[in-house]
Amino acid sequence: MPTPVPARRLTAIASLVTASALVLAGCSAAAPEASAPATPVSGGTLTYATGFGEPTCLDPHVGGNMPQALVGTNVLESLFSQDETGAIVPWLASGATVSDDGLTVDVALRDGISFTDGTPFDADAVVANIEHMQDPDTASSTAILALGKVASVEAADPLTARFHLSEPDSALQESLAQTWLAMESPAGLARGMDANCAGPIGTGPFVFSEWVKQDHVLLTRNDDYTSSPAGAAHEGPAYLDEIVWRFIPDPATRFAALQSGEVDVIDEMQPADVVAASAEGSGFGVLTGALPGASIRLELNSGYAPFDDERVRKAFIKSADVNPGIQSLFFGTVDRSYSVLSSSTPYGASFESEYAIDADEANRLLDEAGWTSRDADGYRTKDGERLTVDFPISTNQSIPAEVSLFEQIKETTKAVGFDVELHPLDLSSWYGALAAWDFGVTSAIYTKNSPDVLRILYHSDNIQPAPSGYHPNHSHVSIPELDAALTEAGETSDPAEREALYEEAQRILAEGAYVLPLYDHLSKIGYSDRVQGLSLLPTLQIPYFGDAWIAG
Amino acid sequence: MLVKAAWGVAGGVFVLWAAATLTFFGLRLIPGDPAQAVLGGPGSQASAEALAAVRAEYGLDQPVWVQYLRYLGRLGTGDLGSSYSLRQPVAEIIGAQIGGTLLLAALSLAVAWVIALGLAVWSTRGGRVAAAVGSALEIVAAAVPHFWLAMVLVLVFSTTLRWLPAVSTPGPAGLVLPVLTLALPLAGFLGQVMRESVLDALEAPFVLSARARGESEGGVRWRHVLRHGALPGIALSGWAFGWLISGAVVVETIFARPGLGRTLLNAVQLRDVPLVVGVVLVVALGYVVVTVLTDAVSRIADPRLRSAS
Repeated sequence: MPTPVPARRLTAIASLVTASALVLAGCSAAAPEASAPATPVSGGTLTYATGFGEPTCLDPHVGGNMPQALVGTNVLESLFSQDETGAIVPWLASGATVSDDGLTVDVALRDGISFTDGTPFDADAVVANIEHMQDPDTASSTAILALGKVASVEAADPLTARFHLSEPDSALQESLAQTWLAMESPAGLARGMDANCAGPIGTGPFVFSEWVKQDHVLLTRNDDYTSSPAGAAHEGPAYLDEIVWRFIPDPATRFAALQSGEVDVIDEMQPADVVAASAEGSGFGVLTGALPGASIRLELNSGYAPFDDERVRKAFIKSADVNPGIQSLFFGTVDRSYSVLSSSTPYGASFESEYAIDADEANRLLDEAGWTSRDADGYRTKDGERLTVDFPISTNQSIPAEVSLFEQIKETTKAVGFDVELHPLDLSSWYGALAAWDFGVTSAIYTKNSPDVLRILYHSDNIQPAPSGYHPNHSHVSIPELDAALTEAGETSDPAEREALYEEAQRILAEGAYVLPLYDHLSKIGYSDRVQGLSLLPTLQIPYFGDAWIAG
Repeated sequence: MLVKAAWGVAGGVFVLWAAATLTFFGLRLIPGDPAQAVLGGPGSQASAEALAAVRAEYGLDQPVWVQYLRYLGRLGTGDLGSSYSLRQPVAEIIGAQIGGTLLLAALSLAVAWVIALGLAVWSTRGGRVAAAVGSALEIVAAAVPHFWLAMVLVLVFSTTLRWLPAVSTPGPAGLVLPVLTLALPLAGFLGQVMRESVLDALEAPFVLSARARGESEGGVRWRHVLRHGALPGIALSGWAFGWLISGAVVVETIFARPGLGRTLLNAVQLRDVPLVVGVVLVVALGYVVVTVLTDAVSRIADPRLRSAS
């Protein structure tokens, strides 16, 4: 599967080498004397500017969104982590044993780790954390969903946490690897929600020491750090004294601030800025990694007209010519994907031939489906009704280049007679349109570090809205064989069986024309050449600063 | 006099009530669930229990008119309530953010006045060419959108020249670009009306009589014409306050400055009703106060208004 820039290593030097050849060339061209890997230097302040927005609570157990995970990952650590292939590796846990019936999971914990408030990390701490996530008063949405099959947890001995499950869960360790299920000091949790939201206490290389709302969060070094994740370049405390975590919502300002040296690292780069920063001698570098979960894709609402007719869905997919647009609008920074799963998520399967462009076939299918006449504007009609497809676009989630791509899809599908109506909406309105099934096609992001994301997105159970009104199955797919494959894949722990089941599920989706995959959702991190040793933690492609340092 | 003041206060209270009411119901007309704002934002997959608990805690399970009356009752006692998304008293949030926005607005207004006055005097004095150039500058400045101007200023002064920071920093340097972004278009508006008014005044009989008394050209301009020319500018400053606050939403977002504008934008996106209404009320109150102030300043600048009362 194509990965644009394969940069998911954790070692400092490896990440510099593999991040992109351009970056390395840039380094040596700009500063030839510094081209040899230097010895890390301790000290200094790094300024990070995020475009993901400011969390309303720093404890990722509460709610559970990307801004919380980003700022929290360098403070709060998880039981497990993942390597660049998506395989589970231990972190605060040293391993896990699953019983034969799959209903009991013993998680063994590493000895000698303490939270930064001095509280020891042990099985009681794990129990306190899981109970905190499952407590309705915590108002968790991400963690509580990931723990859906966990009935209870107990401390079997001081270093063994025993999870009792209501049904087998092959994704449990992947779930526990997410920052939204990170381990926090039980003493910290006991302070109550307001205090814990202002500064949760973890085991990580940094601690939360200040939060000036709308301005920055200050992270300072944990001098007693001992729990580096697998693949880290060094053990022990971080090199940086502190990280100033700033919130700069506008992407152009963010990049300008990087260019003028006011900040050292930025996220959410625009495609043109990625090209500029990757250029030789620019003085900057770019780290990219595919966010796990679903690829960025169009979901066709198969529950309602006109896409309740498979022929109309196929005609849409055969006429939506996206490759030229991806090439021109993204300047070659992303590759076309033919898989519903992100390239960093295991068991992705590509079905390129299902997405071939064929306008003649599209026209034939639409004729066959009864959309035979055309109105004055050239759109197809049936019984006096126009072939209209409403397309609500979240302006929070879709970057400008993506919106332009959707405009090109509108144009290319118009040739065969579709009237695609684009509706740019703010986040709340967009979710409102989705909840009301008031759309023909839409594009939604779903980040999860497990192929189990397919069950969330395409199992018929998830057509029914969650109590909040949100239904992840936007395609309104309801196929018994698909449900069976997804349920079984979520329960079996045999890798070969999982692979076969997930491939079967993806084949059903591709052949039924429910989804049009576009490209991976990329984490795009720009950094100044002064910053060394920066890497992305593979679990959620979040920058890891435990190895980072600032060169003179 | 007392009756007049009472009417003024009643008018101010009416404006505040109308602002609170329109905002309260306006936010309910657009889609979005405030309970989700509490539970991690829109699209959260919160459980039924969590949603029910939140709705009960914030009274969102009550009929809208009950919520409205309760809300008004609390407002009457000066309690702005608690933010859904930030879990903090609204008054506390506004108190922490208002300083930056007021400083930004006040500096922008002052800079806009200086530019507009300078431009008006220069362009009415320098003959046809100066008049044409002044008028063109004012029209362009007034027509420029904030976000565009901000990006151009960043590109020139931060990215290329590296003179000024692109994002807000503590200290005066970080204020220069945000203030210019707000002040330049405003100076265009103010300059246009002032120049017209200066030109009118130059033709007016009182200028002729001043000249006849032997007043120098500078004296005519600074003592008589400018005072006359500034009047519409003063009247416009009340309006400018509201305009600056709406501009602050854009400027604070682009320059990543903490402030009320950014607070308002985030609150609207999350359907955080108490916070939105709180900010709107504070801005409306500011508008009322500034209008009263501009009235007073007009009286000082214009002797005709004093004799009329």
